[in-house]
Amino acid sequence: MASFVPTSADTLEDQRLYTSARLVEVACLDCLAKVGVKKNSEHHTSIQWTAEARRHCPELSRRTGARDTFPACPRMIASIEAAVRDGQIPIGAEDGY
Amino acid sequence: MSDTKVRALDQGTAPERFARGWHCLGLAERFRDGKPHGIEAFGTKLVVWADTQGEIHVLDGYCRHMGGDLTQGEVKGDEVACPFHDWRWGGDGKCKQIPYARRVPLRARTQRYPVAIRNQQVLVWHDVEGSEPDMDILPPELPGIEEGLYTDWVWESEHIIGSNCRELIDNVVDMAHFYYVHFAFPTSFRNVFEGTQATQFMESKGRPDKTGGYGDAELFLKSEATYYGPSYMINWLDTDYKGFNTEVILFNNHIPTGQDSFLLQYGIIVKKPEGLDDKTANFIAKKYAQMFGEGFLQDVHIWKNKVPVQNPLLCEEDGPVYQLRRWYEQYYVDRADIVPEMVDRFEFEVDTTKANEFWQDEVAENLRKKAEEDAAGESSADEPAEKPQMMSGT
Repeated sequence: MASFVPTSADTLEDQRLYTSARLVEVACLDCLAKVGVKKNSEHHTSIQWTAEARRHCPELSRRTGARDTFPACPRMIASIEAAVRDGQIPIGAEDGY
Repeated sequence: MSDTKVRALDQGTAPERFARGWHCLGLAERFRDGKPHGIEAFGTKLVVWADTQGEIHVLDGYCRHMGGDLTQGEVKGDEVACPFHDWRWGGDGKCKQIPYARRVPLRARTQRYPVAIRNQQVLVWHDVEGSEPDMDILPPELPGIEEGLYTDWVWESEHIIGSNCRELIDNVVDMAHFYYVHFAFPTSFRNVFEGTQATQFMESKGRPDKTGGYGDAELFLKSEATYYGPSYMINWLDTDYKGFNTEVILFNNHIPTGQDSFLLQYGIIVKKPEGLDDKTANFIAKKYAQMFGEGFLQDVHIWKNKVPVQNPLLCEEDGPVYQLRRWYEQYYVDRADIVPEMVDRFEFEVDTTKANEFWQDEVAENLRKKAEEDAAGESSADEPAEKPQMMSGT
């Protein structure tokens, strides 16, 4: 059962564009995690993890307790930066997504 | 051709159910006065009371006998008694006694809401599927509150009519509204969603062109706000005002009351600064509460006048609205229908550079105009002063 139901089919395409389009796979240089990355600009980064990738990341697994949300794994950030330097990740948005 | 197509607003349809998860009803102490309390929630009214041991119980507010309003009854012993025929209901949802009857019908069971106490607040579990409460996803108990390291609570609530509570949730990712609605510059903005938590990391400073209160250029704010489930946010706010650091914790939570209404509640405590007496510390907490109250009202004004939108049109500087809503969706589907994308970790760093360049210029221009007006001797005394906000994760 769906909850907030769109009334237009175009909305489903928007959901796809904003969430899963243009994700480039980046493998961590330190562990077995692989994530989907999109960069709309130099400073912007969108990182989609999977449960499997998450299990591989020792850095994120270390966190427990209150106020335990970890902004990012520094090793993964470094891996993404390396991929950007290698030109593996196109930088730039397509009409806002 | 498609480039010139007019963009349609898809207002969608709101869900019929209410979110699965823990919902905060308020400070526990409030319910320990020996009386039954009524709280509107989940399209009905709940009755909340404390038994002789001080343990808090929550049932549906209407007696299963003839529909009497239990919230207008009395607490008798450990039970709540209906004002209509004195049926006595226990915290386990069973009718314990009908004083005028030989026996209690076996089927005399009502809707019970499992209770947990967290940070001196009453939380109830709600799930249309009737599942057992998930204790693993309760919000954390924060150290120092019981130990008296924080000020007294300032607790406020506001019933919002005409908006679905998802409008409030959207603020988690809405970087730009902090400038336009709350008069603060977000200089850094990041989101992380994972499992049942959604977090916003934000650093901001007050706008110097909007004067008054704490929200001026001298105020720097580091905010970390996490939703634990669909309705309970803890917002850690480290503020630096002219070199004076304060640690504020804002508990921002809501209870849906209908499909287009919700009770917004927020509690504020401040870590007692060293060298300050309790009275002064409590005063600071009140001041912060006032600012947040005004901040929420700014949001409410927007919500009351906007339409719901299922297909927001985003620009590059916007936060991950679609991913946040995908996360939020997990609370509105059956547990069996939760898909990995709803709970998989997702990180998003908003690019605030372009926005800040533009905003700095705009603020400079506003200050220049104001200086000109002041120089021209124009009185601005009868203009209502715009209240700047020290902003939180909402």
